[in-house]
Amino acid sequence: MAATAQAISAAEAERQELRGLLHKQYRWLDYKFDIVFWVTAAFVVGAAADITKLLFAGDWDFWTDWKDRQWWPIISPFAFIIIPSALQYIQWLAWRFPTGATYTAVCMFLCSWVGRAFQWQGFVSYPLAFVWPATIIPAGIFLDWVLLKTKSFVLTSILGSMVWTLVFWTSNYMTLAPYLQPTQFMGHILTVADVQGIQYLRSQTPEYLRLVENGTLRSFLEETQYVSLVFGATLTVAGYWIGQAIARWLAIWPIGRFMKQF
Amino acid sequence: MRRHLLISLLFAVAGLLGTAMVASAHGENAQEGFLRMETVAFSNVTFSKDTIKQGEDVTITGKATLLDTWPKTLGEPSTGFVNVTAPGPVLLMKDRLVNGMSAPDAIFVKKGNSYDFKLTLTGREPGRWHVHPTFAVEGAGTLIGPGQWVTVQDTGSFSNNLTLLNGQTVNLETYGVGQMGIFQWLGFGLGMAWMLYWTVPKIGGANHRTVSKLPVTLRIPLNTDGQDIGLITKQDHRVSNLLLLATIGLLVVGWVYQSVSFPIKIPQQVFRFTPPDLEQPPQLAKVVTKDANFDPQTSTLVMNVDVTNTSKGPITLKGFTTSSLTFVDQAAAGTGAEHVMVISPQGAINPGETKTVNLTLRDPVWRDTRMIEVNRPRIEVAGQLLFADSSGTQSGTTVATSVNPKLI
Repeated sequence: MAATAQAISAAEAERQELRGLLHKQYRWLDYKFDIVFWVTAAFVVGAAADITKLLFAGDWDFWTDWKDRQWWPIISPFAFIIIPSALQYIQWLAWRFPTGATYTAVCMFLCSWVGRAFQWQGFVSYPLAFVWPATIIPAGIFLDWVLLKTKSFVLTSILGSMVWTLVFWTSNYMTLAPYLQPTQFMGHILTVADVQGIQYLRSQTPEYLRLVENGTLRSFLEETQYVSLVFGATLTVAGYWIGQAIARWLAIWPIGRFMKQF
Repeated sequence: MRRHLLISLLFAVAGLLGTAMVASAHGENAQEGFLRMETVAFSNVTFSKDTIKQGEDVTITGKATLLDTWPKTLGEPSTGFVNVTAPGPVLLMKDRLVNGMSAPDAIFVKKGNSYDFKLTLTGREPGRWHVHPTFAVEGAGTLIGPGQWVTVQDTGSFSNNLTLLNGQTVNLETYGVGQMGIFQWLGFGLGMAWMLYWTVPKIGGANHRTVSKLPVTLRIPLNTDGQDIGLITKQDHRVSNLLLLATIGLLVVGWVYQSVSFPIKIPQQVFRFTPPDLEQPPQLAKVVTKDANFDPQTSTLVMNVDVTNTSKGPITLKGFTTSSLTFVDQAAAGTGAEHVMVISPQGAINPGETKTVNLTLRDPVWRDTRMIEVNRPRIEVAGQLLFADSSGTQSGTTVATSVNPKLI
């Protein structure tokens, strides 16, 4: 009995200590340092996320005629979640902020828009209507919210990744919709996106490289899109854990080793 | 010291810029010469104009032949794509005919077949642009045909209009950008609201400091949110719920908007087909290559070939085409011929007759375009000898042989 009371008292004492630490004023680690941290990290995080996205899903994110209902919902959510997952782990571990995915999404959003508007539209004159980037900000808010509620990376990887894929599709389909309208061009019924792909020359991207829905005997009750979303969600769980691995073994573990030396 | 450094840097930059040349080619000489010669032969490539206004059309016509000498190392050609290479979308592809059929996408191809193409392009970006027709083959890469400079004159404004099936005419230069900007930047606003709430103590509360929290977070289990010590509060949960609801609201509004505004949508289309075979003229001759020699010093290729006339009338050797180059008989060539060759002996070859013909192709293009190089694993020449009979019918006979370079 006495031992239990002692344990409770020790736990309460620790809580008090931690509360004190939480609000402790530091001479050098004040809020200006926080601003410097968030702003400088934004460039690194945005670039890392953008590069990862381009490596895995470059063309799907670039051209409207690649943003199809079969491959886009499979490849892109997987590619997009890797760095947000890594940042989610780091920011939750270090500060208990459910912000890693949203932070990455916001940084990447700015990176992508600068790239598309200045490099692709301004420098090589592809219209933004053809090369607009997909957004993951709504999906990022959902993923962070799931972590906040579950406080579990396992549950976030399963529930969050599935929600992520669904929200990715929903939030970008509204932008894609006008480009899926039919038109007649070169004597065929094509979408506006197809016409963009034909008209705006891509010298080193022959059309046969375009990996989009091409028809199959396995028609999945003609519900390609939903099958792709489910498969994409499953694949995104794997992408989430790749991000976790990057965070745990390429970021946190080496820093921990370094800190222990001092 | 600093001034000296600055002056040195200025000189270095000026030196670099002053000696730099404008890059205006498309890597057409980058591929190994023997690959260019043994894969696709372009012939009769013609540009209808060299100067157009914005919105005005230029037509490129020509023929591309997938040679029988197609290297085994590249795999059997099955899918191809006729396109144009230019510095970005300075021209717009408005129509593409392959063997008389409209070909918006890639086509299925076969070794030995020829493909007549007609590309209609519209001037988009003002400037002087170097443009080539290209023939890309899956697994091999893009083979580049003869190029030409095309000047697009500025008219002050340009729009790329397209009429949809619902009758609406849209400008593809800007279509959908406004709607995309609104949805994406509203989403960005929500993302920023989420971030500012969590990272700015003046908005989210004193518990939202960042760097100084590490001593606390490292001492509690990962699967807790530290509510008992004030790390994450009930207010944090409430605000996060509200921001999530706002996000759901944005998605619902966007989804309803797209459903109402664009009720008819179809998936992206893929239209690949096998173009009809061109009517092939009868083969006029059989050719056996006896030898080929190349002198890198003078960039001269000399070939000896045995030509057997397999037609019913006399035939004449007119020229030799390889990759994007066409050499014509010097004796018959006009002053405008770009590449010529000397044919010896001159004259017609009678039906059934076999004649040894000596061809001398002395032209810096062999060296300048790296067509024949002595430091390559295969020193070869390939292409088509072009014959014509008295009625004007032309046919090409493929030749390929190794080349003996003059090394010493």
